[in-house]
Parts: sequence; structure tokens; C-alpha cells
Amino acid sequence: MTAVRWELRKLRAQWRARAVLLAALLGPIPIAFILHGQSRPPKDSLFGRFATENGFALSLLILGFAAQWALPLLTAIVAGDIFASEDQHGTWKTVLTRSTSRSGLFWAKVLVACSFAVLVVAVLAASTTTAALLVVGHQPLIGLSGQTIDPHSALRLVAASWATTLPPVLGFTCLAVLLSVWSRNPAVGIAAPVVLGLVMQLVGALGGLDPARQGLLTTPFDAWHGLLASPHFTGPLTQGLVVCAVWGVVTLAAAYVLLRRRDITGG
Amino acid sequence: MRRSLLTMLAVLALVLAAGGAVVAASGGEGSTVTRARLERSLPVVFAHTYVREAHLLGRHDITPASLHAQAMCDKHGPDVADVGPGGDWTCLMSWTDPQVPMPPEGYGKFEMNVHSNDCYTAGGPSKLVGFQTITDQHGDDVDNPAFEFDGCFDPSSSNAPTGVLFPSLFTVTSTTAGQDAAGRVRLQFTCGTGSAGCAGSVIATAGDVPLGTEPFDVKEEATGTLTFPTPVPSGATEVTFTVTMSTGVGPPKPVTLPRTLPVG
Repeated sequence: MTAVRWELRKLRAQWRARAVLLAALLGPIPIAFILHGQSRPPKDSLFGRFATENGFALSLLILGFAAQWALPLLTAIVAGDIFASEDQHGTWKTVLTRSTSRSGLFWAKVLVACSFAVLVVAVLAASTTTAALLVVGHQPLIGLSGQTIDPHSALRLVAASWATTLPPVLGFTCLAVLLSVWSRNPAVGIAAPVVLGLVMQLVGALGGLDPARQGLLTTPFDAWHGLLASPHFTGPLTQGLVVCAVWGVVTLAAAYVLLRRRDITGG
Repeated sequence: MRRSLLTMLAVLALVLAAGGAVVAASGGEGSTVTRARLERSLPVVFAHTYVREAHLLGRHDITPASLHAQAMCDKHGPDVADVGPGGDWTCLMSWTDPQVPMPPEGYGKFEMNVHSNDCYTAGGPSKLVGFQTITDQHGDDVDNPAFEFDGCFDPSSSNAPTGVLFPSLFTVTSTTAGQDAAGRVRLQFTCGTGSAGCAGSVIATAGDVPLGTEPFDVKEEATGTLTFPTPVPSGATEVTFTVTMSTGVGPPKPVTLPRTLPVG
């Protein structure tokens, strides 16, 4: 627990982490204003055609956009750096001579990275939805089966939709942790998950690659579609949960083994 | 370390390229995007959307259930399997609106762009659903929701065939009765998307003079040309074509086209 406290303190002192939170908090506001001011709605994206006149649709449009690369980036900025920064600063020996075991330190760092990811998603979701509802308004939403959803249910569904991004975001957090441990380089830890995410999107968009598509870490980012349909379906959601759990377990196990076996005495 | 990272990325790229090649070769197999799922999803989304348009126009005499919408979907033509995402899906759909009767063929044609994430954009036929901008009951110009709309379907929903079939539409595309060098009249036609293609015959007459009868039998989504054996009499000014269909739907009345002089 001491290790967790120390990791939290290090995170709080980082300008990068604070910048990420600030971006998640303030970034959606200008986006809401700019999209609201468009004369032609961005019809290419799901809910884009209603985004200029419906706050719920605007929040979901930004959700779809954020899932493409912004969410993996926001979590990787911390998770991709949290191990590699000890290499960068040459501080492994220092932190391990505190009475902390290697595995204790590992789990403390993973816990802090995951908590930060949840916090960022929560801040981004709350900020985006609040900005969208204040700037554009809370008219009844048109769902993905063409049905009309009253504002009260729409708010609940939008919140639930943002919540469904947590499993893949945590999956990307674990991937960033692995890359951070393995590369010992913060730049790789931060950039590689985003690049891998974009590659997975590309693979997922190819027609007929369905068995592979189901196993990608980016596919669960689409699982919220089912909540906005009528009758709603949650098959992709449960499947996504399993996929993200497998990614999480495999990447964390690999990262753990790498860190345990590493010879740190050399500095 | 950097070298091993590059190696890993190179391996990853190779695996992806190989996988992509396999997929390109196998073509769309195993996708959750299927004809039956689209045929079940599109009528539901359309019915809600069409009723919303009716409400904008101040009409309250129809409900999603009263439309009895049903669809038949097809990807790319007769020789392509109806599975997998793409912008080459078309859906034929019929519905019951007392104020907007269906055309003689009994359906409207929707252009579909279906994505691998089981969502799609459908474009409605403007002669049945109206143009992109409509004037609502208050006199304001608003977007027509049924002109273009999005929908998503459950990838684990039933994939059993719906059994909805619509006939192909046989359309005469010639605007004049053109002739070849020997004075024989030619007629161009298309056979639209449908379950069984177009078959039948066309009788051509110039005034009282019969020019012959030509049979045709083509697959769906095809074009063709018929040439009638008897040359057009020199005094004739127009040619009438009477289409008899054995498969598919044709023009209900004879088509009369003005004659053009042969080229050369």
C-alpha cells in the first residue's frame, strides 16, 4: 500500500498526467461549440447527422471519435510511461531498495495506471456530455433502430455507452504497461499502443476478417451500439468483456514475467 | 532493444499482410454482415424513420406496424455471395402507405453502405420517400429523415432466410428507336436487382407493320440490346414496343419511341 501511495504521489507531480486530465476536462468544450456551429452535420459518423441539433447525439459522436485513437492515447500517456520512466531516470535501484518487493511495486504501478484510466474516461465522459447538453440541448434522441428515445432514457444510455469503453481502455492500459516494461522507453510505451490501436482498427474495417475482428482490442469500442438499438442487444458487450479480459491477463502476465526476470543490479 | 522492437513491428506487419491476403482471396466468408440480418433490420429502422417523416409533414394516420415493411437485400449482383460489408448492397423494400402507393413493381430501391461493425447507412428512393429537404407542417425546410438514415443490427440475430422475394424490373433505356446500318431497329434495356432476373419477349411495330418479336432472358443487374429482324419502313416516324414478361416486371403499357435515321 505504501508503494501505491508513492506511485500516486509521483503521478500527481507529473505535468503530463495533469495535462491529460485537463485536456479531458476542457477539450470537449470547444469541440461541442465548433460542431454545434457547423451548417452541415458530419453524416459520415454514427449519430453525426443529429449532432448539430441534439446534445446526446453529439456526445455519442465524440465517443465514437475518441475511441479511434484518443482514448488509447490518453491512457497510454500514463501507463506507457509508468515503468519506463524509472529506466529513463535510472531510479529502479533506488525504488527497489525501499522495502518494496518487485511484485509489490509492479501491482502498485498497474493499479495506479488503471485507476488513472478510469478517472480519465469518467472525466471525459462527464465533460463531453455536460458540454454537449449545455451547448446543443437535450432533445429526444433518435436511436439506431430509428426509434425515438426520451431525454431521460437517453442520458442513461449515453452514460452507459461511455462506461462500455472502460474494458477496452483498461485493455489498452495493460498493453501500454507491457510495452513500457519491455521497451524501457517512454516514447515507445506511449506511441506504440496508439499505433497498434490504429492498425487494429484498419484490420477490423476490412471486410470478411470476422474471426480476427472479434479478437481485436478495438472491436469492443463499438459494443455500445447495441444499447442504442431497440430491442437493445448486449452480445458484443459480453464478448468484448471476455476479449479485453484475455488481453489484460496476457499482457500483464508477460509484463510481470519480464520485470521479475530482469537484472536490475546493473542500473 | 530498438532493433528487437523494429523486428516485432516488421513481423506484425507481415502477419497482417498475410492475413489480409488470405481474407482478400477468401472474400467475405464468415462475416456477421449477411442478407438475412439486413432484411430483418432495415424494415424496422425504416418504419420508425418513415413515420417520423410523416409526423414532420403533419400526418398521423400511419404507425411503424401499419406499414408492414419488408425487404429483400442483395450484394453486388447475381454472381456475388450476399455476405460481408460494402457499399454495393441494395435492398428492395415494400410498405403500405395509403397516401403513397407503391410503383407497379411493388417496391422501392434503397442504396446501402454496410460497415464491418454491423452498422449501415441507407439511402431511400426519392420518388417514394421524398427529396433530401422537405417542408414540414409549419412551412419550414427540414432534413427528410427517410432520405438517408443510419441503423445497426445485432450480429447474433437470426440468420435464417426471410423468404422475402421481389421481381426484377425490366426497363427500356432507349430514348429513341435507333437503327443499325441495315435499318433494323434496336432496343436497349436494363434488368434491375431482383430475385430471378428478367425473361419474356418484346414485339416491335412501326404503325401497322410488325418488325418482329425478340425473346430475352437475362440475369438481374444486367443490360442488353435487342435487334428486330425486319427493317423499319421508310415512312414510319415512331416504333412501338410491347413487352410481355414471363419472369420479372416490365412496363405495363407499350413503349412508343420516335424513330431516328440510321447513322452513315
